[in-house]
Amino acid sequence: MLTTVVGSYPKIPDRPHPPKLRSAIARFDWGDMAADELRRVEDEVTVEVIQEQAEAGVDIITDGQIRWEDDQTYFARRMEGFSIDGLIRYFDTNMYYRQPVVEGPVRWRESAVAADYEFAKIQSPAPVKALVTGPYTLAALSADQHYGSLRDLTLALAVELRNEVLALEKAGAPIIQINEPAILQQKQDFPLFRQALEMMMDGVRTEAHLYTWFGDIDGLYPQILELPFAAIGLDFVRGPANWDVIARQPFTKKLGLGIIDARNTRLESVDEIVSAVRRASALVAADMTYVNPSCGLEYVPREVAQAKLARMVQGVRQAQEVPA
Amino acid sequence: MSRGLLTTTVGSFPKPDYLAQARNEFSLGKLTREQLAELELKSTAEVIRLQEDVGLDILVDGEMCRGDMVAFFAGEEGGRTIEGMKLGGLVRSYGNRYYHKPIITGKLTWPGPMTLDMWRYAQGLTDKPVKGMLTGPYTMVDWAFDEHYGDRTQAVLDMAAVIHEEAVALDKAGAPYIQVDEPAATTRFDEMDLVSRGLSIVTQGLKAKTVTHFCYGDFARVFQQIVDLPVGQLDIETANSDYDLLELFRGNRFDKELAIGVLDVHSHRVETVEEVVAGIRRGLEVMPPERLFIDPDCGLKTRTWDEAAAKLRVMVQAVRQVRRELGID
Repeated sequence: MLTTVVGSYPKIPDRPHPPKLRSAIARFDWGDMAADELRRVEDEVTVEVIQEQAEAGVDIITDGQIRWEDDQTYFARRMEGFSIDGLIRYFDTNMYYRQPVVEGPVRWRESAVAADYEFAKIQSPAPVKALVTGPYTLAALSADQHYGSLRDLTLALAVELRNEVLALEKAGAPIIQINEPAILQQKQDFPLFRQALEMMMDGVRTEAHLYTWFGDIDGLYPQILELPFAAIGLDFVRGPANWDVIARQPFTKKLGLGIIDARNTRLESVDEIVSAVRRASALVAADMTYVNPSCGLEYVPREVAQAKLARMVQGVRQAQEVPA
Repeated sequence: MSRGLLTTTVGSFPKPDYLAQARNEFSLGKLTREQLAELELKSTAEVIRLQEDVGLDILVDGEMCRGDMVAFFAGEEGGRTIEGMKLGGLVRSYGNRYYHKPIITGKLTWPGPMTLDMWRYAQGLTDKPVKGMLTGPYTMVDWAFDEHYGDRTQAVLDMAAVIHEEAVALDKAGAPYIQVDEPAATTRFDEMDLVSRGLSIVTQGLKAKTVTHFCYGDFARVFQQIVDLPVGQLDIETANSDYDLLELFRGNRFDKELAIGVLDVHSHRVETVEEVVAGIRRGLEVMPPERLFIDPDCGLKTRTWDEAAAKLRVMVQAVRQVRRELGID
């Protein structure tokens, strides 16, 4: 049984530690810092959060999405066809992102994340997985002024984002994770979702994971198992129904077991984690399970994120030491 | 006071430059809390003068001593902290903006009056009514971490009891209006019942007129629950969405007062009188003037002092024009 993270990691530490990245971005915005200087600070902070994840004992880590303002604009800003508009709430969180607006045909120009992956790989003692926001979610969280239908926009994005997946494959990422939280809010779109992801992942040989959060897959199961992914990540904190749903039929993929609440500061006890891990072990074999937080960790302060990861690792180790 | 189209604001005003600077110096330890408090009173007096000068009907204290509408009650310097809450570490809200997100750490209990002194001070400076301004229980809980309850319903109900005590203190002191803001209410419409239960606890038995402010949302789905909210006045954002929410009120039963936002608080641009007049007329299509209140979309704290003043002057000018047309000035 391996441990991993879903993606984001808090960008700045708590006081009195200096908020390096926050200060650098502020200086950059004021015109007091050059882009390559900001890039160096992002590099530094990325190395820090890679080390924090590794120190916590997490087996497969990410670069913490330190350079990302959010999951949507990191890709939209690098594609043709998008402009970036005003702030909008990200699902039911208290975090906001600038909404991408589709003003013309979307077109991929250059990879947003392949260079980030290459940087992180060199710095990391643990394997690094790469993240791509899925076409359905990017479409659903954008404002479409061009395609006229969610379907056309989603399929167009699937074709374009496929280039991102191929760039990561070429860069040698061992795992490419596609993030699709939005499908849980509009499950009736599953046929479109499936078509888009099949197009996007066609011919991809790298191990691919599909992650969801902020809900459950009731209504999408077991069809979701037919999608071209080796693992499916589920949020058991905001989607407790996932427990019953995956018990209905054999879970034939690897499971991303999101049991650490990444949206609350309360630290789970080792016992809670052990008991959740054992509950999952009755449904999915240990070597087919990745234990991870329920979503990206940026919703909690930095110190809490690190403590939660350390506790998660401790719980998973204990669950495996003592036979159930 | 006019017989209709009363003007007010949603709550916060821009902090004058000297106060923003003093807050910064205080956070660096260069200023004492007492020195800062003195400047908060000075700027509150200026906010009251500005509102009188502009000609608003129902005033606010401008929240000069509050940084964040939740954190003020949860550990922020200068606020009085609800027992069972504290400030947590830094969390990003968007872009390069971070805030100390509060944490519920224990049973929520009223610590004694939290807003009363400032309300009294502000009301003492004017003959116009000054609203008591509180953050609603649903928003207080939704914008905090919860390490104690593990159950949103119980947390909101306990929080409602706390905010109720504060509302009672304002009520007894004679606050003519008590506004209980619930900007988080539009986050999850499936919890509108919980929002409503919380507000009914807060407003129970108050003599004051009660108001709640909601942010923009897809109200159509929960319109009946909004009609039944236990407050006398609903205050909504309308200017920044071209008044489309007003259509819901057309032909539907709604017997409360309605305050509509006619100024976009997120735009630097000062509206023209004609635009605001047109907005007020949109409101008059669905509400009679005696139940229609006119205000900005949201708190003005993100604008500069001059922008806020200019926008409010246009708003009052537009209201006066429409009142004259209706013969109610």
